[in-house]
Amino acid sequence: MIHPGEGRAEQVEDLNDLYENAPCGYLSLNPQGLIVKSNATLSSWLGFPTDQLVGKRLRDLLNVAGSIFYETHFAPLLRMQGFFNEVALDLVTADGGLLPVLANAVEKRDAVGALVFTRVTLFQATKRRRYERELVDAQEAERKLGKLRDQFIAVLGHDLRNPVAALNAGVQMLLKEPQSERSLHVIGLMQGSLARVSELIDNVMDLARSQSGGGIRLSRDASAPLGPVLHQVIEELEAAHPQRSIEAEINLTEPVDCDRRRIAQLVSNLLSNAITHGASDRPVRLHAETTGKELVLAIANHGEPIPEEVRSHLFQPFFRGSTSSSQQGLGLGLHIASEIARAHAGSLGVQSLEDEVRFTFRMPLA
Amino acid sequence: MSVLSRNNVKLGGAGQQPMMFAHGFGCDQNMWRFVAPAFEADYRVVLFDHVGAGRSDLSAYDPQKYASLQGYADDVVEICLELGLSKVIFVGHSVSAMIGALASIKAPELFESLVMVGPSPRYIDDTGYTGGFTADQIDELLHSLADNHMGWSAAMAPAIMGNADRPELADELTDSFCRTDPDIAKAFARVTFTSDNRADLHRVTARALILQCSNDIIASEQVGEYVQAHVPDSKLVYLEASGHCPNLSAPDEVIAAIRDFA
Repeated sequence: MIHPGEGRAEQVEDLNDLYENAPCGYLSLNPQGLIVKSNATLSSWLGFPTDQLVGKRLRDLLNVAGSIFYETHFAPLLRMQGFFNEVALDLVTADGGLLPVLANAVEKRDAVGALVFTRVTLFQATKRRRYERELVDAQEAERKLGKLRDQFIAVLGHDLRNPVAALNAGVQMLLKEPQSERSLHVIGLMQGSLARVSELIDNVMDLARSQSGGGIRLSRDASAPLGPVLHQVIEELEAAHPQRSIEAEINLTEPVDCDRRRIAQLVSNLLSNAITHGASDRPVRLHAETTGKELVLAIANHGEPIPEEVRSHLFQPFFRGSTSSSQQGLGLGLHIASEIARAHAGSLGVQSLEDEVRFTFRMPLA
Repeated sequence: MSVLSRNNVKLGGAGQQPMMFAHGFGCDQNMWRFVAPAFEADYRVVLFDHVGAGRSDLSAYDPQKYASLQGYADDVVEICLELGLSKVIFVGHSVSAMIGALASIKAPELFESLVMVGPSPRYIDDTGYTGGFTADQIDELLHSLADNHMGWSAAMAPAIMGNADRPELADELTDSFCRTDPDIAKAFARVTFTSDNRADLHRVTARALILQCSNDIIASEQVGEYVQAHVPDSKLVYLEASGHCPNLSAPDEVIAAIRDFA
């Protein structure tokens, strides 16, 4: 029986050939940083014969920008920790082109710690580096676009406030004069619309602020009571939606160190949401209590359950549910409510039961 | 924010006279870890990170203030005042050599002497002056930094992992050495490599020692000699060390030269 391979001389790996023709470039530097040995692979990549590389420094193979970077970053790093890995360098080839590589280097030291050699291994990385460059460019483009968007939102929001204020003043003026019943009705509708526009502008401005990194800023005050603030929000919403009812159960026995204007905004956003999406023939319920260690505020409406996949997106900005209704806003209300909760070191969650949707805000009292 | 935590100031040493070490563009106060300990017996050793580098308070980075070297020099003066230092021996590497010179011009009463390691008052060539780089080359550097974060963040990240052989270094390396916020690094590169402080050199009244390496592409011998010729009370010592960081590659030589001078 003849086995395959039998009769052939066993091939022994030729280590010298492995060094010279390895699928990577090799460089050895003496303690002064001069190249003392390099392999044929590197020579073929660069177009320089080995004897032209010997005596050069690693930085002589780099372009000027790369050599400054090498001297100020990688050379110190190598000296400090004895190695570097996966460093991106551009080598200059004999014909003046750039060869992107990834380099690993390790220092070889003798028994007393004196530097003997620095060994460098180089891998071609043209495609990888191009891909990385594209990723960075894309990231940068995205960042610029995001910044522009935030600026646009902030400026727009700011510039919209003035005409809305002028319209509000005009409506107030009209109300001081005798008006027909029909006019009064129309003026009432206009007031409702203006309130809605103002709320949208506030939300947009808050979004711009929170996205530009500042987060929502609070002016906390533990001394004034929170109850009246909640009642006022409820009254405002009932006035805007006379056909709907809001059942409130408020039991606040301890002081709450919060920004009351912001909590009012949170409650208003949640109540508006409940009124918009809840069953129109059933009341919206608000429950507020202090439990000794936290404030718990729950707002619930009857209606269709919210599907799981929708629930996970609810608090993202500009998220709008599947129901398209002219009543819907920009999809910022819940996002801003959750940002307000976060600013108070609290949380805003949603539970969807068989016939009830409940948003619960919790924040620590101390 | 106190000045001392802003600049991550570290104090050591048993002596009276302060010796203050400042790192250059690229890394942080660890640059001095092989040099500073040699002076702890005789001096009060002050180490710090420039704002934006190492473990300084990045939130204190004000692009306007740090758009000129004077902003960094003002910090040096503030640190000295905060610590009540006087007769300071200021040892500055690379761009910090000029930062020290500017600080000593602003508050000459605080500084006794300057040790300038690889100084350059201007990196870009000019009529009758060889800085070592053309304007185009520096543009290329700044462009490649602005254009390509890889060199700063992605390329650095793997390199700053811990070192199993020298665990005592691992923490510091992992946390800071050579790691820089890319935007701040770009701005620091710009202010460093486009600076021109030639006209300030003759205003230095502190005595100065210039340590000049061989084969330093960033600050050549010609540049070191220019500094020596224009700082009134100065002397130049040529080191055998090559490259731009003798504080790391030849600490003993640097220590000996500073001892001779101080």
